[in-house]
Amino acid sequence: MYNVNEELKEKIINLNKLLLDKYREIFSLDGTTLRNFIQREIGEVKKINRLSQEELSHITKKGGLLGVDGSNNRVGGAYPHFVEIYQALAKSTIHANEPIYKTDFYSPLCPENENRDNLENPLEEDQSIRSKKLSAIEVEVALEGVRRFKPYAVIMDGSLIRYDIECYDRWQELREECEEKNIILIGVIKDIKTYIIGDLLVKNGLLSKRELFYDRELLYGLLEYGEIIEISAGVTKKAQEGFASLFMRSSKAPSVIGMDILDSQREYLEEMARLVLTLTPQDGRGVPLWIDIVDREVRITDQLIRGLLESYLDREILEKLFISERDKRTL
Amino acid sequence: MKVVGITTQQEVYVGSKERNFRINEFLIIEDPYQGDLIGEVVEAQSYNKYMPLSMHGELADSSVINSLKAIGYNIEEDTIYIAKIRLLNEALYPIESGSDVRIPSFEEVKDLMIRSAADEGLVLGIIKNTDQMAENMDEEYKDLLYTFEEGKLKKQRDIPYIFDIKSMHQYPHIGVFGGSGSGKSFGLRVILEELMELNIPTLVLDPHFEMDFSQISPYLPKEKAKDYKDRFKCLQVGHHVGVRFEDLSRSDIKNLLGASSPLTDAMSNVVDILFRGRESYNSFYNRLKMLAEAQEEGSLDRIQRRIDESANDLDREGWQKRKELFLNYDKTCPYSSVRGIIWRLTRLENEGIFSKDIRPIEEGLHMGKLIVVQGSTRILQVFSTYLLNNLYHKRRDYKDAQYKNTTAEYFPPFIVVTDEAHNFAPKGYEPPSKSILKEISQEGRKYGAFLILATQRPTLLDETITAQLNTKFIFRTVRASDIETIKEETDITVEEARRLPYLRTGDVFISEASLGRTIFARIRAANTTSPHRENPFEELRNKLMEDDNKFLQVIQDKLPINGDDFINVIKEIEKETGETYPITLFEEKLEDLVEKGLLKKKKTPFFNIYTK
Repeated sequence: MYNVNEELKEKIINLNKLLLDKYREIFSLDGTTLRNFIQREIGEVKKINRLSQEELSHITKKGGLLGVDGSNNRVGGAYPHFVEIYQALAKSTIHANEPIYKTDFYSPLCPENENRDNLENPLEEDQSIRSKKLSAIEVEVALEGVRRFKPYAVIMDGSLIRYDIECYDRWQELREECEEKNIILIGVIKDIKTYIIGDLLVKNGLLSKRELFYDRELLYGLLEYGEIIEISAGVTKKAQEGFASLFMRSSKAPSVIGMDILDSQREYLEEMARLVLTLTPQDGRGVPLWIDIVDREVRITDQLIRGLLESYLDREILEKLFISERDKRTL
Repeated sequence: MKVVGITTQQEVYVGSKERNFRINEFLIIEDPYQGDLIGEVVEAQSYNKYMPLSMHGELADSSVINSLKAIGYNIEEDTIYIAKIRLLNEALYPIESGSDVRIPSFEEVKDLMIRSAADEGLVLGIIKNTDQMAENMDEEYKDLLYTFEEGKLKKQRDIPYIFDIKSMHQYPHIGVFGGSGSGKSFGLRVILEELMELNIPTLVLDPHFEMDFSQISPYLPKEKAKDYKDRFKCLQVGHHVGVRFEDLSRSDIKNLLGASSPLTDAMSNVVDILFRGRESYNSFYNRLKMLAEAQEEGSLDRIQRRIDESANDLDREGWQKRKELFLNYDKTCPYSSVRGIIWRLTRLENEGIFSKDIRPIEEGLHMGKLIVVQGSTRILQVFSTYLLNNLYHKRRDYKDAQYKNTTAEYFPPFIVVTDEAHNFAPKGYEPPSKSILKEISQEGRKYGAFLILATQRPTLLDETITAQLNTKFIFRTVRASDIETIKEETDITVEEARRLPYLRTGDVFISEASLGRTIFARIRAANTTSPHRENPFEELRNKLMEDDNKFLQVIQDKLPINGDDFINVIKEIEKETGETYPITLFEEKLEDLVEKGLLKKKKTPFFNIYTK
């Protein structure tokens, strides 16, 4: 038996109470009421079907799919004594044997990042550099994949707006390339972090508390398998940046995923939603298998990274800079 | 194909993206530092990282996989094949990871696979999964045999398994293990066919009456059929062969009497006292009988009265003799033991054992024939003890004389073969046949006497003998205790032991001491078939049909038969064939034929009419 610290137990009970208090109203919302509200204020709730075999072969004829994903690994301890390795992969369903990889690294200790002592908040700055680096190579492999394979559609892992914010120039290049060549560009978001519906609920006075409720909380279990909500341009900030989005339940799991598409390609929104539905295992977590496959290929194990660092970094550098006390812990 | 992962001096993993591995296949690893090393696949696996086995995680369902295929990506292409390879000879250093792996050519494995020329060894079957290497095999090893797979005769495509019979001189004795239906008896048959082929004197103890080689397998092509009629002889104990009573020594007769169940001390004592050796059956039997009769009288007085009251001289003389026996032996031979010996002796006599001798067997062996001795298990236990002792000592005397530079009559080396060997040499108790088998197993090598012992229960076989079986043929075995025994007694690996319960009929692991490893083989199609091949249920059906046809023929020209006319028809039949039927049976038979649709029945108000 474990010895339970009484205070810890108390705290957890208290946490439960706090959360219950906050969410009581949401949890007690009637499903139909909420659906009606969404129909009225957010967008139409639609049932879609999987693509037929002919439609799929049409996609193949037009160049297949390009899946894009990235991964990062971190070795070391707290700021600034760490190094992060990024890898991005673009893989075409048709040319699966020619994956396009790009890698990059970042460490606050590197000379190019040095003169930041005068910055107000080095940690925040640091965070943004890291995201930028990863986004940048993801966009780069996507761009190369688009140029080399001319796919019918590109599926990025994650929201498209991220690239718009984090590496604007390269993103514009990709966007223009796709629009010009009529290549559909979408992003599939496993963890949606928006709060469009909650915001509107509060604004319309349907909720008494003025707290932040995320869409994933509200949409959990609300949609049936294969249902989508097209978010009307008026209610999302993304529209201003040139994106159209939807929510969908793509598997039997009750959670909901999101999908972005270029505004200029809005006409393909439903077709792409159907494609995502087709490629997602019914009993899965809701992520298209192709994204999972790309994700799996791009991932580097921590052991491999450690091995590489141990082989190619001077022992002195590795020990002094990147081995934290934590790593040496054995207990 | 490349070596992957962590390697050792004995084992490596090999991965391939294109080629699936087969178990027991041979591969050559091209180690850049140690040269070519040969190994055998002991485990084969395939794996697709996108289709993990997961009980509660997601499983890529077929519709998604098909959809992916439709847009150009075939997930199955990402399957990889992995094999665990065990080196035949330990390497000096662990194998270099990343070494190339290839399929060997025949020349490279010839010495490993083939130990004997085809016409000098026993061509027993094929070594499984060697077809790729067999392509450039020497002509002399091609087309030697057929195998039987899924009910069809197949031409030889693999390297043949040829048992080097000469190696028995150093590594004597063979064990054949396998459960019922595993192909054990059939494997034994193939071994015997090959022994006949080489004219090796062989003695088979056949309790199942199945080792008859006169029926040629119907499935073999005509030109390949082999006739063994002149090379073997079936002899039945008590009918063709037996024991010459006059040749029996005291210990022989005790063995014989004790074969079915051990003699008590008292019974053994009776034999010691009453049997004089080199005497006829009748003389010994009469002695026992008269003593028993005297003992039945109960006392000297009463025997004396019998003598006095005898009607003639013959009788008197008889009783006089009984009196002498009574006086000499009554104290030392209790009546019940004498009776017991008489019972056992008459039982053997009734079975005909004492009416014949073993000359036909000796003659057959001298001519290099295969002699099949048939009889019930009990009789064979009795007889084999005597027979093996006799033959083995003849051979032994000859060899000993050779060593001592004296002369003795020539007797050839020979092989003793038996199925259900655990009956002859069981673990835990000591039937007489066991001691001679034990002796041959331990010393036979010196004298050129060898054993081939088959059993479905290796666990029940005497351990000293099992330990002497240098070559073991292991067919499908399901019993856990037997698998344990096999693991202990052979060099079979853990992986192979795990496969034992699932072997196909006729597939066999051959563990040879001379090779130091196990070969996975398939026994060839036999050239002859067992006389017990007919299914008993088919036999029943055939017999019924035969009976019906016979009856139909008998009544053929009597049809139509009127129901009031049975008596006359039966009389006619009796006159013609001599067979007669009771009326009720006759009618029943007709009804039966109507039911089977062979006859028709018309009903009239008075009786039935049976027509064609």
